[in-house]
Amino acid sequence: MIIKGFVSRNPWKLQGFFVIFLFLSSLLFSLPSFSQTAETETNFAICKACHTIGGGKLVGPDLKGVTEKYDEAWLVKFIQNSQALIDAGDPAAIKVWEENSKIPMPPNPQLNEEQVKDIILYIKNDGKIAASEIAAGEDETKTPDEVQVEETDAHKLLAEMKQEDARHMKTTFIVMIILIFISLFDLIVTKIVKWRWIHTIIILISLTIGGEVIFVEATSLGRQQYYQPDQPIWFSHKVHSGQNQIECEYCHFTADKSMHAGIPPVQVCLNCHNQVKEGKITGTEEIAKIHDSYNNGKPIEWVKVHNLPDHVYFNHAQHVNIGQLECEECHGMVEEMDQVIQVEDLSMRWCIDCHRITEVQFASNRFYDHYKQLHALIEKGEKSSVKVVDIGGEDCQKCHY
Amino acid sequence: MEKQYWQSLEEYKELNKPTVLEHKESQPEFSIEGLDESEIKGQSSRRDFLKMLGFSVGTVALVSSCQMPIRKAIPLLNQPEELIPGVPNYYASTFYDGNDYCSVLVKTRENRPIKIEGNDMSKITHGGTSARVQASVLNLYDDARLKDPRKREVETDWKTIDRDMMMKLEDMAKAGQKAILLTSTIISPSTRELIKEFTATYPNIEWVQYDAVSYSAIRKANELHFGQAIIPSYHFCKANVVVSFNADFLGNWLMPVAFTKQFSSNRKLTNGNKKLNRLYQYESRMSLTGANADYRYGIRPSEESAVLMNLYNEIAKATGGQTNGSHTTTVDVKQAANDLLANKGKSLVVSGTNNLQIQLIVNAINHLLENYGETLDLTRPINLKQGKEADMQRIVKEMNTGNIHGLFVYNINPAYDYADAGAFVSGMLKVPFKVAFSETCDETASLCNFVCTTNNYLESWDDAEPIQGSFSFTQPTVRPIFNTRQFQDSLIKWLGLKVDYSTYMEEYWKAMLDQHQEDTGDFTAFWNKFKHDGVIHHDFDKTDQPKFTNQNLSAQKPSKNGFELVLYEKMSIGTGKYTNNPWLLEMPDPITTATWDNYVCVPVRYADENGLEHEDVVKVNGEMELPVIIQAGQPEGTVSIALGYGRTAAGKAGNGVGKNVFPLMNFKGGYYDVAGNTVTIEKVSGKKYPLALTQMHHNMEGRSIVRETTLPKYKENPSSGNEQHLIDDKNNVTLYQKIDYDGIHWGMTIDLTSCTGCANCVIACQAENNVPVIGKDQVRKRRIMHWMRIDRYFSADPENPDVYHMPVMCLHCDNAPCENVCPVAATNHSNEGLNQMAYNRCIGTRYCINNCPYKVRRFNWYEFVNNNKFDYNMNSELGKMVLNPDVIVRQRGVVEKCSLCVQRLQEKKLQAKMENRELVDGEVQTACSQSCPTGAIQFGNLKDENSVVVQNNKEERMYHLLEHLHILPSTSYLTKVRNKEA
Repeated sequence: MIIKGFVSRNPWKLQGFFVIFLFLSSLLFSLPSFSQTAETETNFAICKACHTIGGGKLVGPDLKGVTEKYDEAWLVKFIQNSQALIDAGDPAAIKVWEENSKIPMPPNPQLNEEQVKDIILYIKNDGKIAASEIAAGEDETKTPDEVQVEETDAHKLLAEMKQEDARHMKTTFIVMIILIFISLFDLIVTKIVKWRWIHTIIILISLTIGGEVIFVEATSLGRQQYYQPDQPIWFSHKVHSGQNQIECEYCHFTADKSMHAGIPPVQVCLNCHNQVKEGKITGTEEIAKIHDSYNNGKPIEWVKVHNLPDHVYFNHAQHVNIGQLECEECHGMVEEMDQVIQVEDLSMRWCIDCHRITEVQFASNRFYDHYKQLHALIEKGEKSSVKVVDIGGEDCQKCHY
Repeated sequence: MEKQYWQSLEEYKELNKPTVLEHKESQPEFSIEGLDESEIKGQSSRRDFLKMLGFSVGTVALVSSCQMPIRKAIPLLNQPEELIPGVPNYYASTFYDGNDYCSVLVKTRENRPIKIEGNDMSKITHGGTSARVQASVLNLYDDARLKDPRKREVETDWKTIDRDMMMKLEDMAKAGQKAILLTSTIISPSTRELIKEFTATYPNIEWVQYDAVSYSAIRKANELHFGQAIIPSYHFCKANVVVSFNADFLGNWLMPVAFTKQFSSNRKLTNGNKKLNRLYQYESRMSLTGANADYRYGIRPSEESAVLMNLYNEIAKATGGQTNGSHTTTVDVKQAANDLLANKGKSLVVSGTNNLQIQLIVNAINHLLENYGETLDLTRPINLKQGKEADMQRIVKEMNTGNIHGLFVYNINPAYDYADAGAFVSGMLKVPFKVAFSETCDETASLCNFVCTTNNYLESWDDAEPIQGSFSFTQPTVRPIFNTRQFQDSLIKWLGLKVDYSTYMEEYWKAMLDQHQEDTGDFTAFWNKFKHDGVIHHDFDKTDQPKFTNQNLSAQKPSKNGFELVLYEKMSIGTGKYTNNPWLLEMPDPITTATWDNYVCVPVRYADENGLEHEDVVKVNGEMELPVIIQAGQPEGTVSIALGYGRTAAGKAGNGVGKNVFPLMNFKGGYYDVAGNTVTIEKVSGKKYPLALTQMHHNMEGRSIVRETTLPKYKENPSSGNEQHLIDDKNNVTLYQKIDYDGIHWGMTIDLTSCTGCANCVIACQAENNVPVIGKDQVRKRRIMHWMRIDRYFSADPENPDVYHMPVMCLHCDNAPCENVCPVAATNHSNEGLNQMAYNRCIGTRYCINNCPYKVRRFNWYEFVNNNKFDYNMNSELGKMVLNPDVIVRQRGVVEKCSLCVQRLQEKKLQAKMENRELVDGEVQTACSQSCPTGAIQFGNLKDENSVVVQNNKEERMYHLLEHLHILPSTSYLTKVRNKEA
């Protein structure tokens, strides 16, 4: 496999992009700011695998209007453990079960009654935020789609521009070499141009430009920005994360616990694909690979996209949990990518830049009570906020050991 | 005159030369032996030039055609709930190898064990470990392990083995042909039950236990005195005075981890404590225990019983007991006797000699001192070491007469380590049906028809009862890597039972549940708690000790002629079970600092008189050639040699290292003893054998390194011995600004009073930080890679010196001299006080190494990983599995050093952040401090006023190494205090 877009980065463009990106993502993620709603949305992510609200039947029935059809107490019981209701001989439950080709809905013991009721309210509101809180978020409900479209375009544009850049650079480099040769040839053999300082200037300029190209290319060696390998299964994040709105952490469930975000085990795929056996784009072919893998006991060999060198220690839990970064901030708009592409260059400068501007949750996390001097400075008003760099974010052995 | 400290005899001689100036000039130069000519002169030839040229062109070609490798991310099919990639799991388990016992926690990453730590919940080992326990994880990934069971040296499957075995067992039982099941001491109650069942089903099979180094005299003595053939449990923690005769209880004797814990609990002067226990050591070689003794006396092995008898007589005189006839000896026992009498019931006398006469006197002394029930407990015997020589002698004889038709050998290697191995092997050849249960094809297994490959202890289920009433659980931490099956499962299979051993064990415990708790309702809860804690400890009501019956005591007449030989187990490889473990082979011996070999330790005076020099070769008994180390403290008329070397079927690292001295064991009487044989020593003129000692590596040029005092002086003035600290503190001026840390400043304190120098920390560090093994030749070139070392100093009389041990690793100086000489700022300071090393920035100028006054930095002269020139563990796929994934493997050409286990600090910080709390003192531990069995190494936050390190730093005993340099190390030392008069 060849690395696509093996090009260097232009810091100015990228920084501009980064600012726009931060701005856009802040717009995006300022939306679910109500705790109850955010939690409900997370909880509903499990349901989304098989249900839509007004989007037609998937594995399970469309949930639109379901709240009017059944009373709440029954729904709570059904959502928590449908199989128990069916076994108990509840006629309504048996009817639903038979209508849906006798595919049982998995039980949800992790949800308490309160949470289930919230989900019901969420369904009642057509998958929008809870009734009492609609007013607050109404203005912005339409923005996400628009923003996402712009965002994706920006990505593609940038990637193309970068590739264009690279082509230009190679051409420039070759032209410069040719120019040097021509001048030297003329200087020594043909001697058409009489003024020697012209040769000197051309050679010097060519050397400078060629050197610059080499420098820029050399710094990007070993980096894989815009790396987009083919995967063994044509798996689309756009479908799963974008259209079906499955949370990143549903599949990458160790991101907040471990250094590795974790590639989901096949068994997680089967949570849904036990029932979903046909995809809209790829039909049965790609999904069958999951079943093959599981049945043959052979794990899927995904190609790792985001690679850090061995001498770098990166911990997802630290950044997701403590740094409270969103996945998108490093991985880009994955929900718009069919095949994942590495958006950032993952260079040390990129890491450090972020450490320099990111504020630490200094007041809220009790761990930082250790830093008495910094707390005193804040109290005195001499410091407004604590950045990662203030507590050692630039130290070598925070990442290299 | 000021006390002189010296690291080696060469240095001692230099120190005693007339002028200091002369001494300086005549320092031994850096040895260039073993280096290539061109390496010495720094020349390069035409070939070198071509090599360089080719290399450069190759590099350019490689870089220009650069394509990044494709890296795969392969998830599990089913991810078990408790397995999160990147997060370690710890399982409580038990280390028991047939000799040593230790309760451990096994750290696993992605389901493979990578590190052993002590289990704090154990009431026996209290979270301590030994170097062997630390290194045992590497044995799991040993290339020498057998991958399949074997039938007549051909690999086969278990079905064949089972079919053949059951047929043969039936046949032998029917014909009434006698067979022997020969095992190591088994301390597992379930396994004992299983073996009982096995021998009941096949009554023609007799079960015999065997120990390479026997302790049977202790059992016999107790049988005579108390009517029970047991080893009592020892409570060194309750003893104010310990008198030990050749018992290296801090090193190898019986339960060294437990005894080190107990002993060192009374070697602490922190928190206002002003009491120390006192240790008298009478010994025939320089042992680790002797090195830590307050009073040490060198005796010949033949003298021991007479010395003990004199001690007995002194005590008997004072207590009105009956005295016995004795002989005059060279050493004094009056002081020890007086101390013992003053501490009746709070003292302990032990002997490590496997001699009935001696053990009887020891028992009698302890009885006179009323120690039974106090420091010795016969009601809770130690179950280790149950082998009896008489059994072994009998079966060897029977084997040789052809009476034995079957032999099953488990967990032992008598063809190598039996004193009369020749007779054993010849007997074995007469046994038609031989089966070995072994992990490797060792000397014994290679003589067997069948080899049933067993699991490593990290792959096995088991239980253990090391001391009566204390139980310990062994659980697998990884699936068997190869096609192996544990010994117990084989027996179960051949019994025709349909269970596996874990179920068998569970059933056994279910039946025994009423002995462990009153409420027998919920077995699952009990079982899970046992698995979780790893230990169960029952406190019995104090029961009466058995009655003492007098026995006749007698003492042997000390001999004066010839050399008496003392064999000993090294701290590293023991009796030879670990001879293929490269970590342990390269571990410097705490006394001689030698790696990779065994040798003859000869007394200083004898060497002087006979012109013997270091590395000279001598012939022992006219046949065995061994190199010489002139050992300070080796008693006159004795020589000592380490056991465990000279193996022929150990594996790639251990084969042919050193010489096997088991045949030199004293096995004339009914008790096999490591000491007492008389040997002849004869110099082979003109022959030298190079030894790899780390001794002269790190010479600190006679500055005030180790500071020491005695207890009376310390009581008078807590700063005694440490006066220099006050002077240096006063005189220190600096151009540098003092760094003021905010929040966290990591620091360490090392209490030299507690430290015994057992080198457990060295191996713990090696396991944690992926430190490579470099081999003997490289060690000789002073390139050993250990991030920490134990410096050993002697002082005073070379014939009976005081010994000092001092662990030294990077001290993380605030004004670090290494930092300002690095041209690329690869080493610099963190905001938490760490002197950090960025390997990827390092260009290998080694200026930092030159400028480090402690010489703790190490240079990677070669690529030690994936390099077949270093054929140890880092060049094989299996051996590399032990590497800690949180720590990078350093490449060639960079400098490395102790990072204070920064990966562990970061891990605990993250955990505290995730739990939204501050760090608790003691929560963050480096590998060395975690595993230290004496608690000498303490680690913590110097910014936390209540932390142990801050409290220790307030002690008057606190000083910094070379503090006159004012480089402000974050690690400080506490002076060594010996409990000596004057």
